[in-house]
Amino acid sequence: MDKSRRLFVLLAMLVAVGLVFIIRLFFLQIVDTSNYYKAQAYGSNDITIYPARGTIVDRYGKLMVYNDAVYDLMVVPQKAKDFDKVALCHELMLDTTEFNKRLKKASKYNPREPSVIFKNLPFHLYTRLQEVLYQYPAFYIETKIDRRYNINGAAHLLGYMGEVTEKQLEQDKYYKPGDTKGITGLEKSYEVYLRGHKGKKVVLVDKFSKTQGSFAGGKFDSLPFAGDNIISSIDLDLQVFGEKLLANKIGSIVAIEPSTGEVLSIVNSPNYDPNLLVGQRRNKNFAALLLDPRKPLFNRALKAPYPPGSTFKTIQALIGMQEGVLTPDTKYPCSGGYHMGSITVGCHAHGSPLDLKNSITKSCNAYYCFVYRSILDNPKYPSVQDAYVKWTQYLNSFGIGVLTGIDLPEESKGIVKKPSYFEREFGKNWRSSNVISMSIGQGQIGLTPLQMANMACIIGNRGYFYTPHVVRSIGDKHIVPPAFSQRHYCMVNKMYFDTVVAGMANVCVPGGTAGHTGIPGITICAKTGTAQNPHGKDHSIFIAFAPRDNPQIAICVIVENGGFGADYAAPIANLIIERYLSKNRGLPSAKPDMLNRMMKANLIGTTAKDSLNAKLSD
Amino acid sequence: MEEKLHIDWLTVILYILIVLFGAINIYSANSGVDEALRLDFSKEYGKQVLFIGVSAIIVFLILLTDYKFFNFSAYGIYVVIIGLLMVLLATGSFNKGAQAWFKIGSFKLQPSEFAKYATALALSKFLGTFDIKFEGRRNIMIALGIIGFPMLLTLLQNDTGSALVFTCFILVLFREGLSGWWLVLVMYMVTLFVLTILLPSISIIISLAVLSALVVYLARKKQQLFWLAIIVFVSSSVYILSLDYVFARILKPHQQQRILVTLNQDVDEYYVKKSKSFSIFKFKKAEVTDKKESKRDYSYNVRQSKISIGAGRWLGNGFNNGTQTKAKLVPEQHTDFIFCTVGEEYGFLGSTLFVLVYLLLIGRIFYLAERQKNEFSRVFGYSTASILFFHFFINIGMAIGLLPVIGIPLPFMSYGGSSLISFSMLLFTFLKLDANRVNEISRLY
Repeated sequence: MDKSRRLFVLLAMLVAVGLVFIIRLFFLQIVDTSNYYKAQAYGSNDITIYPARGTIVDRYGKLMVYNDAVYDLMVVPQKAKDFDKVALCHELMLDTTEFNKRLKKASKYNPREPSVIFKNLPFHLYTRLQEVLYQYPAFYIETKIDRRYNINGAAHLLGYMGEVTEKQLEQDKYYKPGDTKGITGLEKSYEVYLRGHKGKKVVLVDKFSKTQGSFAGGKFDSLPFAGDNIISSIDLDLQVFGEKLLANKIGSIVAIEPSTGEVLSIVNSPNYDPNLLVGQRRNKNFAALLLDPRKPLFNRALKAPYPPGSTFKTIQALIGMQEGVLTPDTKYPCSGGYHMGSITVGCHAHGSPLDLKNSITKSCNAYYCFVYRSILDNPKYPSVQDAYVKWTQYLNSFGIGVLTGIDLPEESKGIVKKPSYFEREFGKNWRSSNVISMSIGQGQIGLTPLQMANMACIIGNRGYFYTPHVVRSIGDKHIVPPAFSQRHYCMVNKMYFDTVVAGMANVCVPGGTAGHTGIPGITICAKTGTAQNPHGKDHSIFIAFAPRDNPQIAICVIVENGGFGADYAAPIANLIIERYLSKNRGLPSAKPDMLNRMMKANLIGTTAKDSLNAKLSD
Repeated sequence: MEEKLHIDWLTVILYILIVLFGAINIYSANSGVDEALRLDFSKEYGKQVLFIGVSAIIVFLILLTDYKFFNFSAYGIYVVIIGLLMVLLATGSFNKGAQAWFKIGSFKLQPSEFAKYATALALSKFLGTFDIKFEGRRNIMIALGIIGFPMLLTLLQNDTGSALVFTCFILVLFREGLSGWWLVLVMYMVTLFVLTILLPSISIIISLAVLSALVVYLARKKQQLFWLAIIVFVSSSVYILSLDYVFARILKPHQQQRILVTLNQDVDEYYVKKSKSFSIFKFKKAEVTDKKESKRDYSYNVRQSKISIGAGRWLGNGFNNGTQTKAKLVPEQHTDFIFCTVGEEYGFLGSTLFVLVYLLLIGRIFYLAERQKNEFSRVFGYSTASILFFHFFINIGMAIGLLPVIGIPLPFMSYGGSSLISFSMLLFTFLKLDANRVNEISRLY
């Protein structure tokens, strides 16, 4: 072979190598897309930009919940060498063993990435560190946003924030480990609106996860969208006023605007400052609150079922009339109570016999024993059990024994027993006399303060209610959930309400059960209740609405161990009604003595609150 | 009489294109992410621009030099470079560990890069000497010695990659009369080597035995073929077993790793496989004394390189926009792995075009070499093309995961003064010789 022909052998080799390379490149770059996706994962790192959480204002626009800056001390463990550890620990007021432990943990997590070494620096430490931190190049301060509450109460209503759990991380992809979310109250129920949309900054990272700059010129970055601001229906002034009135007492207040279902205030006592459960203090304070025997964390207004006592008579009267076993003119005698065989339901001294209207005003127990028995023993129904089932359906239509659907978490249904319960208690053929105590709201019946306030709304509206809610509108577009504007009618016809309302209108005027508590110039329609309590003194209960026609406020007040309804619950309720209806909140009360007495009343002993406060720390 | 410079402008244009493209890619791999476009001479891309300038000056000087100078001083240059390599080796042994460069200020001069140039000159001179052909035992031994000596010195410097480059002269020798069977033999040996790593030695030997038996049976009437089959079988078996020995006992752990990684083999699995099957050597995993070494992941380079190139898709991310490149995820990206930048930023179309342009350059040099009228120029031309081809083949093959990681630069593209200058010298010395060919012809008429 001519040796010059060997050139073509070599050129053929070039072509072969070229072909192999191009085919290989085609597989690497076009066919096998995994490299492309791996590249996305390798070279970039998503940095979350947290949006500002929505604020919450009261019905008049007063700020209740907002955001504030908090400061974390961060460390890049790899760089944390050759620094004066003792001096830094001294600045941080931290002992060196604890410091070393945290540094080791951070180093173990990732020596090249910043980790928190001191969470939530107090402000004085923050300012001090600003001056000395230049000596510690591995350390820097990162600013985060925390929640602040403009009110030192209303904790159950507003709720608090906490870190997301692992389970929540799985359920909602929005969250990442270390994120916070609303745990209770409004913070929880409006979490999706308040949290907003996270922004994303994609940065280029090298093989050590060290940031090199922005990825693809910021093409994939997105801006965060702040959470929706929420306009609450709460009247902050009224809320604070209610909390003052209920101070040193155990109980709750729920006030609702009947014409809309908007909740004006929800007061629980004992209460706590929601700011106690923000930031670094949270763990310690939460434990103290949890262990407190008076259960300050317990949301009584929504969760505690109380026997409604005599306030329940209004409902009994309405059901009786609708069922046709009672007319406004029906009169029943009362000789110091209701007697039937061995059973006696006691009553206080009043004229006898009474008609329906006066039975409300005077709160006659015997009258309602007759009424309830006539409801249950109605020949219309084949048995007492059937009549009872019908009766519970009435109650459900009043929002009793069912959830009201309020826009707050952890609501209780209250207690309305099923017939089977009584079968177990009294045998298969139980009779109306077995459950006679329920006629006056005692025994096997329990309503939450919210349900009782809602009951007052229904009577004030003459037959309907709106789902109680604490939020008026969401966001800049003022979105109102449609469920809030839907009327729910109860099973009692409008025409039957007049007599009951007439009876209630006389309760707070002399001759009524709370005659001394009335407010001059305001027609308050109310009903007192005194709920027997196996654990101690009776609970003082009061439901009311005012004014009589087109009421603007409906309220329920419960003071545990407060005695008669007229003793504490009625004055407190009426003072709140007075304050709400007077457009100028600065005007003095028409009943200064009553106001003074309520403010000062202490039903829990002097040291109790102090001892609680001693356990809490700022 | 006015002498026109009959330089091959196509080669020059291809050269300029590749060098400038190289500088652009070094800039991409080397500059910071949000850095403004500017020339910073403290950074590698800035230095590369300086090296391009130096190369231009050297190229200019070469073109001015009389063509006879190269023929005349070929052995001299060879001796000087060999001397430099030996000095390095001597000082290196004093300093514990090999050193492959001389330090001149802040620049490092790597004589092994120039050794290829010197070897090409010396080989051309030897084979180009009147009356000497690549025939006869003595001439063959001298030619092999010219190639083998610098190769051995580079190997002793622990620069295995650069030493391997000298095997490319087999292509030159092939052109000059080496039997084509040698090329076949090399390919056969490489194939056996790969098979030895992929399969248990005993199964390869048994397969070979079966094949040989078949050949022996079919060629039972031809005694020559019978003996050939026996010889091939015996020598292959010895080769396979000695490969096992070399791999298990002589190669360093990182070299074993690099080879295994290319063949998608896990080191531990490999040893399990090898220790189970028949072998005269006990396979024990080499004890790694260096802790850093034991943690090093040799698949990392290739993996990152493939991801980087794969991320380019059809058109790539565009100049200075490769995310893997800018994140500096591929080690040595501005030097040996410069092709990753091409792959990521210019995509499949860009890479293919680049491969084609590069092969066009090499093919052009082969073509120019063949048209030389004297042996010196022809051998030198073939040497130039072969060296460039070998570098191109190994470097890109490694970047796209077809070949083991062997750290040699991509000529004209990779960062590095010694390599750019030595390859430029190589190319333009040949172009000068080629230009002279035309002059020589014109003088004849």
